[in-house]
Amino acid sequence: MTNKLNKYEKIEFLGEGQFATVYKARDVDTDNIVAVKKIKLGSRQEAQDGINRTALREIKLLQELHHLNIIGLLDVFGHMSNVSLVFDFMDTDLEVIIKDNTIILTTANIKSYILQTLQGLEYLHLNWILHRDLKPNNLLVNANGVLKVGDFGLAKLYGSPNRINTHQVVTRWYRPPELLFGAKQYGTCIDMWAVGCILAELLLRVPLFPGVSDLDQLTKIFGVFGNPTEENWPGVRGLSDYVDFKPFTPIPLKSIFTAAGDDLLDLIEGLLVLSPIGRRNCTESLKMAFFSNKPAPTAGPKLPLPQSLRKAREAQKPTLKRKLLDKMEGDILAKRLVF
Amino acid sequence: MKDVIDVMELQREKTRKNVPIDYKSLDFNNGFTPARFIFECGIKLNGQPLTLATAAVIMHRFFREVDHTNYDCFLIAASSLYLAGKVKDDSLKIRDIINVAHNTLHRGSNPLEIGDEYWNMRDAIVQAELLIMRILKFEVGTIHPHKYLLHYLRSMEGWLGKSQWETIPVARASASFLQDFHHDPSILDYNPRHIAIACISLALQCYGVQLPLIEDADDEAWYNVFVKDLPKDKHWEVMEKIMEVYNREIE
Repeated sequence: MTNKLNKYEKIEFLGEGQFATVYKARDVDTDNIVAVKKIKLGSRQEAQDGINRTALREIKLLQELHHLNIIGLLDVFGHMSNVSLVFDFMDTDLEVIIKDNTIILTTANIKSYILQTLQGLEYLHLNWILHRDLKPNNLLVNANGVLKVGDFGLAKLYGSPNRINTHQVVTRWYRPPELLFGAKQYGTCIDMWAVGCILAELLLRVPLFPGVSDLDQLTKIFGVFGNPTEENWPGVRGLSDYVDFKPFTPIPLKSIFTAAGDDLLDLIEGLLVLSPIGRRNCTESLKMAFFSNKPAPTAGPKLPLPQSLRKAREAQKPTLKRKLLDKMEGDILAKRLVF
Repeated sequence: MKDVIDVMELQREKTRKNVPIDYKSLDFNNGFTPARFIFECGIKLNGQPLTLATAAVIMHRFFREVDHTNYDCFLIAASSLYLAGKVKDDSLKIRDIINVAHNTLHRGSNPLEIGDEYWNMRDAIVQAELLIMRILKFEVGTIHPHKYLLHYLRSMEGWLGKSQWETIPVARASASFLQDFHHDPSILDYNPRHIAIACISLALQCYGVQLPLIEDADDEAWYNVFVKDLPKDKHWEVMEKIMEVYNREIE
């Protein structure tokens, strides 16, 4: 166990969350760059509940999952009363990319991001796992343009018919209407709604439904799709927190996503459906025309990088001037004209 | 005893005297004692059967790696229950576990006051949890025989026919054999699918059920429709292991 501690050499502090601190580190044996997530344990005796449930979920689920578009858990180690999880190092995430106004997101770029998201999510769903917290911030991207679904702290197995789940999952802006109405039994459709919201955000560059409260969230959703009825969503009135809203007239998606082609609108329309059972699943979505139509998804290394990352890279790379100087010094004899 | 399983022994009505067990007076008994303790506490805590099975597996795996005389097996059992509750998203509250474990060890005592003794136990359980995680190399996911058992039994429901299925408690007996097998560390040694088959086989033999539409030939075992990789002697071996558990029952 002690050698594990020295196996990773801390490079820099990356961030701090509610339950963990994340560091960028180097694996001394392989020279790989990794992210080490050190789980905070309650130091005060009252707070001592032992191993954090969120961390345990990540350990248990990620140990069994292996897919290019799912964050890889490379190692877990314990030291003193700490537990640390070692992940693939990811340079940035979709939230940073969406917010960076120096980046232009073309249809080909968006296609690449959403394709990778759906492929990772399809694998999860086929293994009976719900992510339950999809948002741009949890879709991690590395410098090679590979997108990986991360943060499995809320992920859970689904499919048990008698299992009651909490509806207090998914960050509000990406939460589907059934959860806002208090549904306690649900399946993959909750993740599909979130993918629809993320896709919309890639196009609009701002969240589609930035609700400030749960009721406001529903108001914003119905403001676009109109009110749910027993016809377009059978059983909606039976949900525990169902309330009637003032009538809204649906807005055609074409007028919201003015720049999107018909094939892309079809994809969004299949994901953002009020009735959960009306939503397309990952496999169905991946078969839609959008993914086989031109333009082809941008190849990973050609995807745009955020400004901060580009600057950091340029600082590392020798500048053109420097290159010329180096050349002159090295080739000084050869280049000089000798009379 | 090759090829002969003495099911008579299982059929014999054991006089179930429900005398509370004095755990403190028992020895480790190759993991049987802490396993019995896990199931008693777990049932009192209203844990799901899979949670209790996970706790037992965690406890047996822990004692495979260490010398059991160095640890208090009831502490490890309580901590395994706590960890299993987290692993299976079937939250067992630490204070409940402490009170139930304490009362099971010291029958008739009052719930612990929130004081030094309580905090020490809580601290011990949390520390042991981390130790268990490390000893198990953080690999806490278990493939249980339960899901295979369920699917095999589902298929057999149609095979046996509705009337026979409803009169003979094959499903119930198989599930009991499976739960009881968790008292023995040898549950770690066999393929979960093979364990599920052995449990059903024992139940069929206990009730003398003859499966229809199948010849009782030597080369074709009934379970070959479910598992292809279970030789006859292995099958017997697992069945014998399950039966051995009942010999270790506390008299």
